[in-house]
Amino acid sequence: MEQVRAIARHTSGRIGGAIVLVCLLAAALGALGWTPHDPLMQYRLDRLHAPNGTYWMGTDLFGRDVASRLMVGIGQSFTVAFFSVAFATLTGTVLGLAAAWLGRRWDGTLMRLMDMLMAFPAILLALLIIAIIGPGLWTSVIAIAVIYTPIFTRVVRGPALSLKEREFVDAARTFGSSQSYILSRHLLLNLVAPLTVQVTLALAWALLTEAGLSFLGLGTQPPTPSLGLMLSDSRNLMETAPWLMVFPGLAIMISILGFNLLGDALRDILDPKMRRSLA
Amino acid sequence: MNYLTGRLVTFPLVLLGVSLIVFIAIRLVPGDSITAMLGTEAGLLTPKQREALAAYFGIDQPWFIQYWRWLYDLFHGDLGVSVTYGRPVLDVILERFPLTLELALLSMIVALLVGVPAGVYAATHNEQPSDLGVRIIAMVGQSTPNFVLGLVIIYILSAGFGILPVMGTFTSIWQDPLTNLSQMILPAVTLGFAFAASVTRISRSAMLDILKDDYVRTARSKGASSRAVIWRHALPNALIPVVTLSGIEFSYLLGGAVIVEQIFALPGLGRLVLDAILQRDYALVQGTVLFIAFNVMVVNLLVDLAYATLDPRIRLGER
Amino acid sequence: MAIRTTKTRLTGMAVAAMLGIAAVAAPAQAETLRMAWAQDATGLDPHKQTAFPSLRLLELVYEPLVRLDSKLQIMPAIAESWEYSADGKTLTFMIDADAKFQNGAPVTSADVKASFERILNEETGAVARANFLSIDGIDAPDANTVVFNLSQPDAPMLTAMTDINAAVLPASEIAAGSVGTKTVGSGPFSLEKWDPNSKATLVANKDWAGGMPGVDGIDISVFPDESAILAAMRTKQIDFALMNDPLIATLVPRESGLQLNREAVLSYHVLQLNPSRSPFTELGVRQAISCAIDRQQILDTASLGEGRVTGPLTIPAYASDPNSLFCYTRDVEKAKKLLADAGYADGFSTTVIAATGEPPTAASEAQVIQAQLAEIGITVEIEMMELNVYIDRWLKADFDMAVALNGGRADPFTMYNRYWTKAGNLQKVSNYIDDTLDSLMMKGRAETDPAARKETFAAFEKHLAEMSPWIWLYNSYNYTAQQDNVKGFTPTPTGSLFSLSEVTVE
Repeated sequence: MEQVRAIARHTSGRIGGAIVLVCLLAAALGALGWTPHDPLMQYRLDRLHAPNGTYWMGTDLFGRDVASRLMVGIGQSFTVAFFSVAFATLTGTVLGLAAAWLGRRWDGTLMRLMDMLMAFPAILLALLIIAIIGPGLWTSVIAIAVIYTPIFTRVVRGPALSLKEREFVDAARTFGSSQSYILSRHLLLNLVAPLTVQVTLALAWALLTEAGLSFLGLGTQPPTPSLGLMLSDSRNLMETAPWLMVFPGLAIMISILGFNLLGDALRDILDPKMRRSLA
Repeated sequence: MNYLTGRLVTFPLVLLGVSLIVFIAIRLVPGDSITAMLGTEAGLLTPKQREALAAYFGIDQPWFIQYWRWLYDLFHGDLGVSVTYGRPVLDVILERFPLTLELALLSMIVALLVGVPAGVYAATHNEQPSDLGVRIIAMVGQSTPNFVLGLVIIYILSAGFGILPVMGTFTSIWQDPLTNLSQMILPAVTLGFAFAASVTRISRSAMLDILKDDYVRTARSKGASSRAVIWRHALPNALIPVVTLSGIEFSYLLGGAVIVEQIFALPGLGRLVLDAILQRDYALVQGTVLFIAFNVMVVNLLVDLAYATLDPRIRLGER
Repeated sequence: MAIRTTKTRLTGMAVAAMLGIAAVAAPAQAETLRMAWAQDATGLDPHKQTAFPSLRLLELVYEPLVRLDSKLQIMPAIAESWEYSADGKTLTFMIDADAKFQNGAPVTSADVKASFERILNEETGAVARANFLSIDGIDAPDANTVVFNLSQPDAPMLTAMTDINAAVLPASEIAAGSVGTKTVGSGPFSLEKWDPNSKATLVANKDWAGGMPGVDGIDISVFPDESAILAAMRTKQIDFALMNDPLIATLVPRESGLQLNREAVLSYHVLQLNPSRSPFTELGVRQAISCAIDRQQILDTASLGEGRVTGPLTIPAYASDPNSLFCYTRDVEKAKKLLADAGYADGFSTTVIAATGEPPTAASEAQVIQAQLAEIGITVEIEMMELNVYIDRWLKADFDMAVALNGGRADPFTMYNRYWTKAGNLQKVSNYIDDTLDSLMMKGRAETDPAARKETFAAFEKHLAEMSPWIWLYNSYNYTAQQDNVKGFTPTPTGSLFSLSEVTVE
């Protein structure tokens, strides 16, 4: 609760929080089916209709209402982004900390395993995963999570190595603090700031990767809309029906803006050094 | 140096692992070289014809025998022959690699030249309007899918101004640097734009962190000038996460930037892998992935060494 | 030499572009046609390759005995003339004495014999073999005469010989085993350099028996993204291009200085049902689907109306009026009744598979079909997949329904023999055959009188549409785009680019 109040006090936190809330609200309405039109209904006489009073954001190639699809699409894209980043963050943090803390052989083995994962071109990974479990929302989640796990591992391991050698950890060690205490109290807490930024960056990346997968035909499956699929479907209609690219594009941009502002606020609030200096 | 030798010893093992996974995985994907060449017409083949083609593509043996043969050739310095290109795999890769490397380097240069100064600037002007401006530009850059950016750039240049660097015929930097640069600059900007945004955000955040750190405050209290504090003391430390991020980005770029290569019709490694997968050119997929894996590992090793240089407190691989 | 001049010119343009100066269209000089397409050939062996771009590239380099003109009439190529014997069991070709391979050797009957023997040899793995199984033996009485002895009269075989998959190759190259790595054809161009998925360089063959081509050569670049092709044509970097996606092709006529050629093709968009799987085993269910589908709406939405609703026969000489076929006018009430009579009054759930981007309209077609079938209570789930994965499942008949773009042939028997005869090689995929279809096909194969043939195949088409194993939708256009100063290109229903040999750049 205190954190929420802290976010509300923070300027960028307020703006970011508001944007994310609005996006979530739109997604919730979309999920409940409270959209201006049925997002799957093809109004065949109104194909490629420019935005007007009935269709606020126009209609697509099939005569489907873009605004309604956008609401559902935000939900789909957020689901992909949240779950894939959550998975990658958790796995990556655990592996990265383990590598940094255990050192030597563990470090070597884990990091070489990550090298192996990173060595696979993302497109090959995505294709393989989709060939094995079939395309769909959760396939995208898994594909993106697998692509980003090595990144989080490296991102955590670097600063963790550096922190591990800092005076305060050494001090804690000489005072006989237990490993788990040092790990959670010192390392993890000091990693919160870089991790929060990394997570908000990754949320942005995940939204974009989902779009990229759609571009290559490997993302969300039609007719379910996702921001990425809507954008990728719009590419050959860019000249005929620019609204098909503009609105999903803006939606991605605004969501990412929201994530980032919120992330910056969280970073400031959670950063122990920051708190120290404020105190 | 003990650490370095350790890394170098594991090098071949990782490569072996990658090659084995790729070898099996690419064969797990449904479809094979025959369906890739013939499409639905493959259904017209008699069993004998099918056998003959399987032998031609070298997929007539169980996978472990194929793998053994491939490994045997590998140890004799031979990555096999691509059935699509009718040439040794290594030749095809080496022909495409300079473009990929150049694109990766150019886009990194674009991103770092823009990103780091912008990040430092934003950090030193924390919560002032100019900081907000830099952050918002960074966020816009970060939130544009590169296919959208690429397509829009091409559309605006061609339809709006009637200009476009030559596409479809790639000129290498050795043949004609000027033409080459004209072809590479748009893809590099398209790729670099998003990454510049990430660099800005990361370096701003790291810089803010460091500026509050004890030794910087100490340096400041000892009367070091503000500029010196920032550039001599703070920046090298703030660069650690940037180096991490750049290493990751660079190693991804070394695998080729499929989407940008597709849009700008550049024959790089990304499209090479994609086409090889789509055409089920197994030798080419294996060779290219192995090559990419090798490069990624070299980059990761260099990044780890860079940590040690930037932050002497890290003693590599010791407890 | 030609290559060097081109390079210098391109360099000039690039410098102009870099300096931000409008890249002045290098006044298109006659020498080289700069061409672009999104998909490249996949290989160079004319007997083995079946992909559309491979055929288009190879038909500029190699020649068959005979070829089709833009009206699908059989015309001389390597063969000057040909005739069937009275009993239809021998087919004799006279070879053009001027025909020469690009290595300087004349094309002789020995080369023809060696080429067809190569196709018939199972070790080659040539798909076209299936079309030539009636060949019992090949004689070469003299250098310019070749005689095919047939086991049975086979009218469609001559049409099959127009295919580049039946190209005549030098016997010496066949013996050397260099076909596919070295291209020695007798066609209008020789392939100077090929960098797969990137670039192909063709040079005019001055010794071509058909005369000197109108351009010195053709530079083919691969642009994977078709909107980039359009951009390159706007800035006059490309003279001629192949386009697949109607969404992009329809933008071409809006540009000044650019022309779009659209030609109705033989290939057809189709919704394939799998009659070996319940509930598609029921005739009523299949017919219900046929009645519930609004073909015109699919065409209007997925292809922006670019094409024509068609029955099974897309060949202009054989096609009948689609409205005479079963349920070609949408009838939802009839569909519901058929479904109820078949025991599925409440509908059912099923899936449709489609390949990503192949054709570009596949995903759109699947989505319109999904919406239309929902109206009679059939819930369709769409499964998009990579082309090869799709083909793998298709060949195993591992699907309920499939959206497909199938290639057409100039002869109805060659086109449908594989699917709708009892011995058809792809019967394992089409999974539907009855005596009527089989006997009509056999009758059509032996028949030589054009009017009688047309009647036989019309009956075949009507019956096929009524049995509805597949739902034929529409045939679309083959698009080529060109600068106004490119003259003399004639598109054909087969999509052939052979007419590039006549093209000039003014």
